[in-house]
Amino acid sequence: MRRTLFRSVWVALAIALAAAACGSNAPSESTITLYSGRSQDLIQPLLNDFTDQTGIRVEPRYGDSAELALLLQAEGDKSPADVVISQSPGALGLLAGEGRLAVLATDITQRVDPGFVASDNTWVGITGRVRVVVYNSELVSADQLPASVLDLVDPKYAGKVGVAPNNGSFQDFVTAMRNELGDSETSRWLTGMADNESPNYPKNSAIVEAVGRGEIDMGLVNHYYNLRALENDPSVPSINYFLPADDVGSLVIVTGGAVLASSDSPDAAQQLLVWLLSDAAQAEFAAQTQEYPLVEGIDAPAGLPPLGGLAVDTIDYALLGDGLSGTIELIRASGIER
Amino acid sequence: MVSNADRGSRVRLPHSLAAAVAVIGVFFVGPFAYVVWRNVDLGTDLGGVVFESRTIEPLRHSLWLGIAVAVSSSVIGTGLAWLTIRTDLPGRAFWRLAAPLPLVFPSFVGATALMAGFASGGLVDEILSPLGVSSLPDMRGFRGAWLVLTLFTYPYVYLPVAARLSALAPSLEESARLLGRGPWAVFRTVVLPQTRNAIWAGSLLVFLYAVSDFGAVTLLGYDTLTEQIYSDKLFDQPRAMALALLLGGVALVVVFVERAVDRRRQRIEISRSRNALTVELGRWRWPSVAAVAVFLGNALLGPIAVLGFWAWRGLSSDLESVGLRTDVGSLFMPAVHSAAAGLLTAVVAVAVVLPVAWATARYRSRLGSAANSMIVAGFALPGVVIALSLVFWAIDAPVLQRWYQTLPLLIVAYVLHFGAQATRAAQVAVDAAPRRLGDAAATLGAGRLRRFATVELPLMMPGLLAGAGLVMLSTMKELPATLLLAPIGFDTLATEIWGASDSGALAQGAVASLVLVAVSAVLSWAVVIRRIENY
Repeated sequence: MRRTLFRSVWVALAIALAAAACGSNAPSESTITLYSGRSQDLIQPLLNDFTDQTGIRVEPRYGDSAELALLLQAEGDKSPADVVISQSPGALGLLAGEGRLAVLATDITQRVDPGFVASDNTWVGITGRVRVVVYNSELVSADQLPASVLDLVDPKYAGKVGVAPNNGSFQDFVTAMRNELGDSETSRWLTGMADNESPNYPKNSAIVEAVGRGEIDMGLVNHYYNLRALENDPSVPSINYFLPADDVGSLVIVTGGAVLASSDSPDAAQQLLVWLLSDAAQAEFAAQTQEYPLVEGIDAPAGLPPLGGLAVDTIDYALLGDGLSGTIELIRASGIER
Repeated sequence: MVSNADRGSRVRLPHSLAAAVAVIGVFFVGPFAYVVWRNVDLGTDLGGVVFESRTIEPLRHSLWLGIAVAVSSSVIGTGLAWLTIRTDLPGRAFWRLAAPLPLVFPSFVGATALMAGFASGGLVDEILSPLGVSSLPDMRGFRGAWLVLTLFTYPYVYLPVAARLSALAPSLEESARLLGRGPWAVFRTVVLPQTRNAIWAGSLLVFLYAVSDFGAVTLLGYDTLTEQIYSDKLFDQPRAMALALLLGGVALVVVFVERAVDRRRQRIEISRSRNALTVELGRWRWPSVAAVAVFLGNALLGPIAVLGFWAWRGLSSDLESVGLRTDVGSLFMPAVHSAAAGLLTAVVAVAVVLPVAWATARYRSRLGSAANSMIVAGFALPGVVIALSLVFWAIDAPVLQRWYQTLPLLIVAYVLHFGAQATRAAQVAVDAAPRRLGDAAATLGAGRLRRFATVELPLMMPGLLAGAGLVMLSTMKELPATLLLAPIGFDTLATEIWGASDSGALAQGAVASLVLVAVSAVLSWAVVIRRIENY
């Protein structure tokens, strides 16, 4: 009996060692480590193309954007990471604030609108997702949709609009609103949503699912979650409604990239960002992930309104990083968290 | 064959064992010390955070949820263990395999499946609404969190109790039966007192799991301490760290209370016999099967059905799906990684905590108790905190540094996090190895190691295997530490499920979840269940 137990231990050890051997190759000079808050399915093909073109190998660690930022913070200067890609501008802002990010070369930062670059040039937007109102077309007719996100505090929407107050993109959206309208008006809107007893969800995809089921009429989300939901089940009656371009509700949230100040191959690291902002990679993003490319001249994903029509350059993205703790306080004070 | 052990007596711990326990204890202090250090470093206003109103409510929620889930899980886990191990329940070989498996669902998968199943407009609603059932109970908040956590954590009680029962001499139960007592009376007067230790051990784990769970409570909208730690972790780090310390403190208090109760309890040592006893359920036979089937139907079959539906819908869809991989072959390496990590961690965890369990259960050692408390507290801290503590200790350390983000250090993180599951089961196991037998072997001239290997270890095997099984299943679904500390390219099934859900690929996540359940079933059978039965 003991023999079989010991044998299974050895088998497990052998498997693990073999597995570890498969997974790791000796790092060479042309290898960079990427911490990616963007999941594997959405970025790996582009990384493969990058390696094919430049010969630089990329070792990606996938994770949640906020947790990867915490990891980088804990690792400090010893971090093995060279590049970080984050779905949350706030997390990048935090790292920039601690001096962990290198200043990017101008041939990177000039690829996109200045509105999508950190004010100290430490990170750059790669793709964007637009805030939309997702609604259930069996429960809501098009003429019942709000002209502005600000209208959602109207009592006629009470209990009908799902929000995710603890989610990074909702927080980014509130920060943009503060930037646009000031704290007191933002606070009034949040309190209005709270008085309307807007149902809470942990994240965008949960709101989209709830709208699809008919649990709620509509919800505030990023545009591509509903596109994914429809891929999984085309019969779901959930539809994305893009608010008018000049409305604060149609904020563009960027997925940003940055190079770590502690990187030991900063040139190769910057090359990866150059590649991700190349015309080819940007077109690929639009086609494969249905996100908005941020480089000018690249078309928006098929079937989506063009980004140019949306009010993008009025929002100071630097604030989205620095202002987040203030935003969280406003959200908490409003009572919208239920 | 029941005898009272010398309760309360304190025998001096041998020096070698004391040294081992001290080293292990220091190792397990790591995460807790990190949390304390972060609080000092960030200058946290601990009192201010702990006593403000927005902390009190989540604290109350955590405690209430932990207690409620512990109570319901221990009732279900114990009942199920007795029915499957001790009675003539029809199909019990199958039930024994199925019963531990719900533990393997990551709680966010379980919660998602439950919501898709039972929420208004969900699958069940669609099935029932033509039948005239118009409203389903609201699953959000406490009710949903309690239900999901009970369905997926009762194996923490089931496995130790099942191991205990299979190691238990049936003579007492036989006598009770001969004296004409019915199954329920035998259960209450004979079985329950003998399994109390295991039930306590399991419920403690359930409590700690419930207070440290993040996936189910956020999805179901129940605001607990852990949920607050996660939402504050990046932008309000002082508060997040203060709350982590509070959570660790709660765990220590609970461990202390549990030990105090344990100390006052009478120890019963039982020798084993190989004769299997089967209680005849009589007219309760079919109602019992129905109850077991309904429960496991909800805990295991329900989620599998929902996952299966998603997988089938994705696989059969002829849409040109973007970024949707449902290729089962690509899950082969992740499955190997999950299995290897689970097995290795299980073996290491049991080996590491055994000296501590031995010191506490055999010698009632204070040092052992202290080490035990640290091991148990590690289970209450959120996984991301454990992972960050390891970064803190390893990144600058001269030797450890070289192991950073390699498999050995990942296993260390798992052991720190899940050691508690092995230690509680190991204590029950040590209790099950009567001192008398070792003493008898000693008088026959057997050396210490030989005694351990030939007499005590075989007696402890069912309990140790139960502990190893718990650690293995938990490791296979672990996410935060795996994402942050695994070697690059070491994808596991859990990270695949997470990645799919993050990019909204429902079918792909469902396929990976089903593979996880299948791999877990095979491993639990091969490593744990089959062997528990053989001992």
